[in-house]
Amino acid sequence: MRKSIYFFVWLVVLLIFVAPLAYLVTLPSLAQFLEILTHPNQLTAIQNTLLVSLSVGICCVVLGVPLAWLLTRTNLPGKEKLRTWFCLPYAIPPYVGAIGWIILANPNSGLLNTVFGLGLNVYSFMGLVWVETSFLFTFVLLTTLTALDSMDSSLEEAARLSGANAWDVFRDISLPLLRPAIFNGFVLSFLATAASFGVPAMIGGPARLYLMTTQIYTYQRMGTTQGVQMAIGVSVLLMIATLVLLFLVQNTIGKQKSYLVGGKSTRPSLLPLKQATWPVFTILCALLFAVFILPLLGLLISALSSVQGQWSLSNLSFNNFYRVLFQTEETWRAVTNSLILGFSAAGICTVFSFFAAYFPAKTLLRGRSLPGIFASVPFSTPGSVLALALILVFSQGYFGVGPSLYNTLGLILIAYIVKYMSLSIKTVHDGYSQIHPSLEEAARISGAGFGAVLRTIYLPLLKSSLIASAFFIFMPVMSELTMTILLSGPGLETVGTLIFSLQEYSDVAGGGASVLSLLVVTIIFTLNFALKKLSKGRYGL
Amino acid sequence: MSHLQFTNVGKLFSGDNWAVKNFNLTVNNAEFVSFLGPSGCGKTTTLRMIAGLEENTHGVIKFDNDIVSDPENKKYLPPEKRHVGMMFQSYAVWPHMNVFDNVAYPLKFQKLDKATIKKEVSQVLKIVELDGLEERKPNELSGGQQQRVALARGLVMKPRILLLDEPLSNLDAKLREKMRRDIREIQLRLKLTLVYVTHDQKEAFQMSDKVVVMNKGQIEQIGTPAEIQNSPSTQFVREFVEIGSH
Repeated sequence: MRKSIYFFVWLVVLLIFVAPLAYLVTLPSLAQFLEILTHPNQLTAIQNTLLVSLSVGICCVVLGVPLAWLLTRTNLPGKEKLRTWFCLPYAIPPYVGAIGWIILANPNSGLLNTVFGLGLNVYSFMGLVWVETSFLFTFVLLTTLTALDSMDSSLEEAARLSGANAWDVFRDISLPLLRPAIFNGFVLSFLATAASFGVPAMIGGPARLYLMTTQIYTYQRMGTTQGVQMAIGVSVLLMIATLVLLFLVQNTIGKQKSYLVGGKSTRPSLLPLKQATWPVFTILCALLFAVFILPLLGLLISALSSVQGQWSLSNLSFNNFYRVLFQTEETWRAVTNSLILGFSAAGICTVFSFFAAYFPAKTLLRGRSLPGIFASVPFSTPGSVLALALILVFSQGYFGVGPSLYNTLGLILIAYIVKYMSLSIKTVHDGYSQIHPSLEEAARISGAGFGAVLRTIYLPLLKSSLIASAFFIFMPVMSELTMTILLSGPGLETVGTLIFSLQEYSDVAGGGASVLSLLVVTIIFTLNFALKKLSKGRYGL
Repeated sequence: MSHLQFTNVGKLFSGDNWAVKNFNLTVNNAEFVSFLGPSGCGKTTTLRMIAGLEENTHGVIKFDNDIVSDPENKKYLPPEKRHVGMMFQSYAVWPHMNVFDNVAYPLKFQKLDKATIKKEVSQVLKIVELDGLEERKPNELSGGQQQRVALARGLVMKPRILLLDEPLSNLDAKLREKMRRDIREIQLRLKLTLVYVTHDQKEAFQMSDKVVVMNKGQIEQIGTPAEIQNSPSTQFVREFVEIGSH
């Protein structure tokens, strides 16, 4: 039984995780790459992608690193609360923020412009960078926080006793030791920007600022052979660049991480901010307000405004909520679809991981860690690219065998599973590694076979990891847009695509996208806090 | 001559939760003093208050005639201004710097020229028997050698007081024995004022001029090793000394 399950895991991984992307890579010819690299539009898209991603990556470091330091190394009041709040944007899809910022800062009727006369224009390079940064800085923040938490604080204390002041310690000790973590965070936010679709589509479009992902979408939508070929070419380019960059980072700077954790140490001595305490606290609260509260407030105001762009009390009503939730039939279709997809993807991924993660964590079988590595490739691949690969492989049956899955919930479900499986496998794998091998051995000696060991030992002990895994899949699936927009046609909405179409063209009265965005944010926060409560703080933000 | 003085020093965490309470002690120049007690007795907290890594909430700490901490009068000298050396339990040798840079680091803040720094560092490295390893990175050193780097870094700044926080607990028995003798020998030779934290009775009695036995944040007894072993003043000290001798 053990052997056949192992075989099954390999089969699924090879057929569904590896084959589509491998197939996609073989499609474009060298001539097509050359054509793309000389085509002015494509060249601009590549340049834009690099420029925007680089700017976002740098802004994320500038914002995330000092923030992480303040939240771990000083006596700032309310640190724990601030920490939770600053990490929350990590869970929200950035396109929700884009909608919020369009309401706040579009050049014609943005609230910040009409009410405060700030003269902001979100439809610009700076606007795009700001909106992406305001969510993706959490990547840098989280990697840096983790590194600071695990760093032996006596390394920094020894420097202070040597005569170094707080700034010297940061420059000479903390920063060099944090470099791998910061770099990892930088690369993650860089790649997340390069892979994002919602924000560049909503903000970059009106600004005539096209990125590779939005180009893929446009070409795929053309429907012509030439269009699809262009989409394939750009996709392969984006995917190769992404994977090469990740591989390089993980095998160079990312590897230095090992020496971060020193011996046991006492709790770090906190740097007293003294007179700076309240100014710093105020700045952080203002920052939190600007990156997080303000766009949500924009969504709320827009959702409650009968007429968009007007700011008066008499304009407030629940009309938009009523219209979207009760008078629009697509809404319920979309919510039902998203729920079906969410539950199915979460269930399938978790069950699969329960079996798949057993082998790398608990056996010495040959090639045991490869399925996990293969599953992490689609996770790192930009969603647009993955979706395109799946369309090509599944649109006429699986490589021509069986029924077409194009424009069905089935294909969307497969896409979600392939994309997010890695999250699930990692979570369950961590759970397995915390269970001492003697527990399984004792069960074996008592006469339990493989099935009984899984059922009576691992299933109960892994309960919290499995629940966490289901949440980790369900949350991103509820609002996925990048892949779904390519995989679905009219009549097959999900919450993500409905928000996108309401925002982009179909909601004339306005406010509909805001109502649904608020719904998504509420669901995600509720799930996050439920997970945190259920796992007693071990999982969740 | 009194060199380090505690007057009614205390650290209150919250409510009635004292980490250290009513701590009174005088440490003389060139004296080797050990804080001895079980884990959680407040010995490390007291040591860290000398360094300025923790702030006492009550009482006064003085180095010679300088008040370094007096919360009542809002006086607190930050660690980088106290000029004390410290050896941590976890070594705290910086992994991204070689041995020379680790040891030379405190001299960076004393505005010395390069030649002087080089001379001072090589002198100290000779004392701790690490000469010739200047270019090595910490991950190329053994645990004992890393410990000596940490000691050298504490010595090079010619500290007013050298603090050692259970520095030998990560070493194997044989190495520990040699380090004990070496540390004591260096302390005597350089006439250092040294405060040593340990939970190991044998270690404290073997090395120290004076031992401070602590329990639950308070001092149980202060005396020479002989005084404490021969006439323990409380039940706690008697039991603690006895357990250790078996």
